Amino acid sequence: MASSASPLPGPSRLNQPPPAPSTSGDSESTVPQPPAEKGLDVNILKELAKSALVESLNDIQGAKTLILEPALAGPLGLVTEVALLKHQAVDKMFWLEPGPLNVNTRNVVWLCRPKIEYMRTIAEQIKAQQTNPSPAGPLMYTILLVPRATELCRRVLEDQGVAGDVTISEFKLELIPMEDDLLSLEMDDVARDVFLNGDDTPIYYSSLALMTFQRAFGLFPRILGKGDGAKKLADLLQRHHNTDPAQYGDIETSSQVDGLIILDRSVDWITPMLTQLTYEGMLDEFVGIKNSHIEVDSTLLDSNTAPAPSPSALPSTPVTKKRKHHLSSQKDKLYSELRDQNFAVVGSRLSKVARRLEGDYGGVKNLKSVSQMKEFVGKLGGLQSEQQSLRLHTGLTEQLMPITKLDTFNRTLEAQQNLVAGYDPTSQLNTIEDLMNQELDWQTILRTIVLMSLTNGGIKPKLLEAFKRDFLQVYGYQHLPLLINLENLGLLIRSGSGTISAAQNQSITFLRKNLRLIVDDINDLNPNDISYVYSGYAPISLRLVQCLTMKNHLSSSSSSTTQEGQNGNGFATREKPKAHPLNGWKGFEDILSVLPGDNVDVRQHGEKRDNPLVIPDDNKLTTTVVFFLGGCTYTEISALRWMSKQFKGRRFLIATTGIINGNTLIESLGDRPPVQLKQST
Amino acid sequence: MSISSPTATWDTIQNVFYRKEEVYTMSWNVHDLSEYIVAVGKNGGPIAMIRDDRLPLPSSRHSGKPKITLYTSSGLPISSPISWDLNTPILMHLTTSSLVVLSDQGIYRIYDLSNIANYKQYTLGDEVRESGVLDAKAYEDGMVILTRRLEFVEVRGWRGGRGVPLVGAGLTEPPTSWTLLPPDISPTGHIQLLLSTNSTILTLDTLEKIDQRISRAPFSHIRISPNGRFLALLNPNTGILWVVSSDFGRNLSEVNIAEFGEGLPERVEWCGDNAVTLGYGNGKVVLVGPRGESLSWDYPPSAYILGEIDGVRIISSGTCEFVQKVPDCTLAVFSPGSSHPAAILYDALDHFERKSPKADESIRSIRPDLANAVDTCVDAAGREIEVTWQRRLLKAAQFGRAFMDLYNPSDFVTMAQTLKVLNAVRYYEIGIPITYEQYIASSPSTLIVHLVSRNLHLLALRISQHLGLRPDPVLSHWASAKIIRSSQKGVDPSDRGLGDDESVCRAIVEKFEKEGEKGVSYAEIARKAWENGRARLATMLLDHEPRAAEQVPLLLQMKEEKIALEKAVDSGDTDLVYQVLLHLRSTLSPGDFFHILDDSISPKLKPAVNLLQVYARQADRDLLRDFYYQDDRRTESGCLEMEEAGQQEYAEERLEHLKRAAKSFGESKERLFESKMVDDAHRLLTLQQTYERELDHKFSFSGLSVNQFIHKLLLEGFTKRAERVRADWKVPDKRFWWIKLKALAERKDWEGLEGFAKFKKSPIGYEPFVTHLLSLTPPQPTHAASFVPRCDPRLRADLYVQCGDWGKAAESAKERNDRGKLDELRRRAPNGIAQREVDEVIRRVGK
Repeated sequence: MASSASPLPGPSRLNQPPPAPSTSGDSESTVPQPPAEKGLDVNILKELAKSALVESLNDIQGAKTLILEPALAGPLGLVTEVALLKHQAVDKMFWLEPGPLNVNTRNVVWLCRPKIEYMRTIAEQIKAQQTNPSPAGPLMYTILLVPRATELCRRVLEDQGVAGDVTISEFKLELIPMEDDLLSLEMDDVARDVFLNGDDTPIYYSSLALMTFQRAFGLFPRILGKGDGAKKLADLLQRHHNTDPAQYGDIETSSQVDGLIILDRSVDWITPMLTQLTYEGMLDEFVGIKNSHIEVDSTLLDSNTAPAPSPSALPSTPVTKKRKHHLSSQKDKLYSELRDQNFAVVGSRLSKVARRLEGDYGGVKNLKSVSQMKEFVGKLGGLQSEQQSLRLHTGLTEQLMPITKLDTFNRTLEAQQNLVAGYDPTSQLNTIEDLMNQELDWQTILRTIVLMSLTNGGIKPKLLEAFKRDFLQVYGYQHLPLLINLENLGLLIRSGSGTISAAQNQSITFLRKNLRLIVDDINDLNPNDISYVYSGYAPISLRLVQCLTMKNHLSSSSSSTTQEGQNGNGFATREKPKAHPLNGWKGFEDILSVLPGDNVDVRQHGEKRDNPLVIPDDNKLTTTVVFFLGGCTYTEISALRWMSKQFKGRRFLIATTGIINGNTLIESLGDRPPVQLKQST
Repeated sequence: MSISSPTATWDTIQNVFYRKEEVYTMSWNVHDLSEYIVAVGKNGGPIAMIRDDRLPLPSSRHSGKPKITLYTSSGLPISSPISWDLNTPILMHLTTSSLVVLSDQGIYRIYDLSNIANYKQYTLGDEVRESGVLDAKAYEDGMVILTRRLEFVEVRGWRGGRGVPLVGAGLTEPPTSWTLLPPDISPTGHIQLLLSTNSTILTLDTLEKIDQRISRAPFSHIRISPNGRFLALLNPNTGILWVVSSDFGRNLSEVNIAEFGEGLPERVEWCGDNAVTLGYGNGKVVLVGPRGESLSWDYPPSAYILGEIDGVRIISSGTCEFVQKVPDCTLAVFSPGSSHPAAILYDALDHFERKSPKADESIRSIRPDLANAVDTCVDAAGREIEVTWQRRLLKAAQFGRAFMDLYNPSDFVTMAQTLKVLNAVRYYEIGIPITYEQYIASSPSTLIVHLVSRNLHLLALRISQHLGLRPDPVLSHWASAKIIRSSQKGVDPSDRGLGDDESVCRAIVEKFEKEGEKGVSYAEIARKAWENGRARLATMLLDHEPRAAEQVPLLLQMKEEKIALEKAVDSGDTDLVYQVLLHLRSTLSPGDFFHILDDSISPKLKPAVNLLQVYARQADRDLLRDFYYQDDRRTESGCLEMEEAGQQEYAEERLEHLKRAAKSFGESKERLFESKMVDDAHRLLTLQQTYERELDHKFSFSGLSVNQFIHKLLLEGFTKRAERVRADWKVPDKRFWWIKLKALAERKDWEGLEGFAKFKKSPIGYEPFVTHLLSLTPPQPTHAASFVPRCDPRLRADLYVQCGDWGKAAESAKERNDRGKLDELRRRAPNGIAQREVDEVIRRVGK
């Protein structure tokens, strides 16, 4: 890294490339895992969704052909198994796509989100079917809309002249438990809809989902939040509660949940623009995780290793089949250990597990008695599954490692970290130009330039124009509307042009200091601060949650926390501090004032009006729900998990409209890619 | 009614006790029920009747078109008679809140029982009208019609939905009888029919027809028991009443009914799930037990029987009676010689009141079973109609309780509460003879609906409060009824205190607030006002409605479009906004439509404008274009054209859209840069097209970015053209070098690359030459190494290492006299040749 020779005292830590994962596990200290305290049992939400689907399908009499929106398959798979649908007389399943139907059941059932294009496809299919009736007699058409039936869809079907022929009903698929501490609506492109297009439909759906949540677990005693979207959502929650007593009137104040914190993505665009540096975050950035599933070489999954080379196969390129694998901490203990770690320590963790397994297997030689033998055999199953997940994660880590060694990766990271630290923006722009000349993927380039605009109060008009010109030349003029959209969102603006840029500039400087966004001394192995997820940058979103729930931690100087961290080995002897009750924003007004959007702080009461404040104590665990409107990243999830472990008495339950990363976010803000041109004749 | 003993009404059929109790003496003036078509509501529901004008007129009593009259079960008229101008009804059916009447032309009317003058009329479609209706059967939520073409059609719900044909039964003549299994008792969970032909029984639903192969057919009556487990079938030829499990698997009883009466019974009804009741035309009613023993009663000239879940109701000109198997708990207490603890407890109370010491003795004897005794007495109290016996039984329970250490009184309290309700509605003026079993099975809220449908609002409200039910359905119904009454002809709207809008609105709001009810739908009431021509009142009421989803449809109907849109936006429910937008779009001219949305006039409507754009982008591009144009949104227009350009498959069309985009951007001062960029895009595509033509379409360039274009030109060897693009787009040197480096490497044009590197000093340095060649698949270490000498001397050693040339790496370290580097190289060098090469250099240095 040439820049380390720079005369300016740059932040020491940030200029280092992220340490490549070391494979020696010697330095690692063993932190005894405290017994897991159980938070809310969110599986009830899964059961609700499952039974809602079963009911919806059972209401339709007879054998059915199910036509499924492809994007729903993932979320659906998280609440039920396809095999289960067979019990509901689902005969065949197809993807929802234009083209004629091929049905030999009496019922046709479409399952999709209430989107206009789907309604049109369905209408076409019904019309085609009607002009060419099936031999089995007239078909019964049903559309199950997720999560609710809309008047809009009904109108579109009416305009297409098929409204009379279909039954429209709904399937309430709302918050899906992805993990014990993670709920997601699994909706795509929410940030685009809400913040760019001003289409608040996702906010409304979120409000309905959170009402269902409250019906299951009680009314949030307090709702806090930041951002215009957060405000709208909080208002809707109260509105539902106040105006629909028939449905929500009898919900009592929750005794398990102390509050809801709503964070709206527009409050913190910086975080998703940065490259995630946790294991799960890296997997999402560079391999891609969709609905908790990842595509991996099937060789990493099969238990019988070493795919036998087939005699006819060419030796050069063995065709590796990709398979979808469900990443789940319940099925894969090793994953639950690794996912939230900084990637730098993943290698050493893996090698430690490998050596332990070797030892365990090696133990077979020393078996003396039959009872020892029996004990060992009993362990075998566990060892095998452990070995299997070790193979998977070693394989994935091997896939990620070369990426972290790329010059472009490290320079991008360096630029990003310098930008958030406010260090020499001009030379970062040069780096961006340079990376663009090398035709690094356009998403990364835009993420970095957006980061520059956000952390710098915009970019000088001349430089910005030059950048845009180059960008369009390198990656194509079709990206022009995307650049305009970024400008409209305030993500890529000219400096000195207006109030936004001035405000942004002030705000980031203020936040850097007062929210301690940059942390130099991070211990990757035993993190002492959430900033470990970005190797030295703490997400603004989570610092806000800390304002409300870990006030003391935030205000304490970094040295005291470091001490705590350095005493890592003495961790076991130290009692974890108790969590303090959920604060309001009091004391953080100045921070809120530099962030965009409304502030939210309301209290809710059940009918009975007795409002036992949920105060975390020794014996009782309270859950704080953090809802990300517009999506959150895996790093943010990891950071909240870390926060859950810091105190006794409070667990964070993460809820989100969906899981995003900078690439998916940036892509969603642009148009569809252009179609291939045809040769005109 | 004299109250001698609770068992005075008991009788036995083969050791099973049944009781027949007179519930009401009828207050009506009906002499012969057989002259009427009669319908009776379940669970103590009302009686509807219309004179059957197909019968010859027996006397001059009747004249003119027959009318439908409604009575309570005690024979009190409920409303004024309803005129019926269609043909004789095929079906009359009473649900909890309405009366359904079906004519043979397939027209049916649904009368709201609370407002009988108001009905909704539906037809079953042309096909049914042409063929005509032969018969129909109904249940609470729908009916099935048998057309004269012998097809069955199901109508689900009472909202005028389209009829769904059942599977073809393949009948050639009408079934001898048929019955409808409602979803709650049918084995499939959907409706099912059982029909008897001359040779067998068929099961029929929307999916399939099953021949049950019952050779005993035909049957003149098929009845399913309330729990759906048994069937009673009457063969008219043999006179055998056959009771069988509903899957025809278990034969339960066969009774020859010839001895019970002349001819065949007109009606066959279940009495609970235990016995079958036959109703004869002459007023004879026979209760038949499983072995053929029977009880019979006479109600000359005629009687109507109706099966309830726990017994059978017998309505005659003089009385309303109820027959049921004596419930077990009642039996336990009252049956002669019962030694059940409950009976002993009941006796003990008697002894106690007579101050007999036997009381204590009795209690002592049942001490271990006291809880059971108390519970049984409480249960038995619920099964009594007579208040005297209810009290007596509850008292016995209370007495027993006193001897218990622990007793949860909630059952007792609930029962007392329930009996209060039941006694209130059974009172003859109310006339709802509902039993405890029916009340529990049909739910308290159904009873409330029933009461409300009789306009007994106050009673319904008090009962709701008494039972802790939400009062809003009652209040809402009350308010609607009030509006209807105050709007009826003959009432002068200006008549203060009765009909004017202010006072009606005030009365309603005050009432709601007094009852502390937030859940009432003002919108529903407002709609009633609107339907009754009271627009002003509707608006006033609507203002009290907190839920936008309720307000909006009515506002649209009232043509208050703008308010509707604002309310929809306020609600945050985007679907509601769409609903209004689409409504406006289809009813207003484009000009008016855009005018309403003009956000300079109504900034509050911004969200609606956003949604319109989202909608139009997917469904109505022309609308979007018009909107952007008239609203001077040049940037948006430009972006729209850009997006459309991308979706064009032919270059000409894409160019056309680009041109328009450039124009739109150009019209905005702020967007000159964008306009220029789109111009460039246009120019690029044009040039790409030109080159394709020049090169006889052997290559395709169209759609490539500037970089990709240059790259491809270089790759294909069209250096001049590449240079031209470079010049035209002023591609900076650094970028161009990268492109060329990559293109030449991809061509494996090592000479060209060498020449390019030498041509002038590289603006990107020479490290990229090395690293790029190494990053290729397969890597090119030899060619890469050839560029190392041009790199920064400090980096050369490492670059050589990357190229795998340890000797040269050591050499370059040596040249710089970097002993440390040499040592490092030696440490890092893999075994073998590499190490020897490094050693060799070190040895030379050492010399």
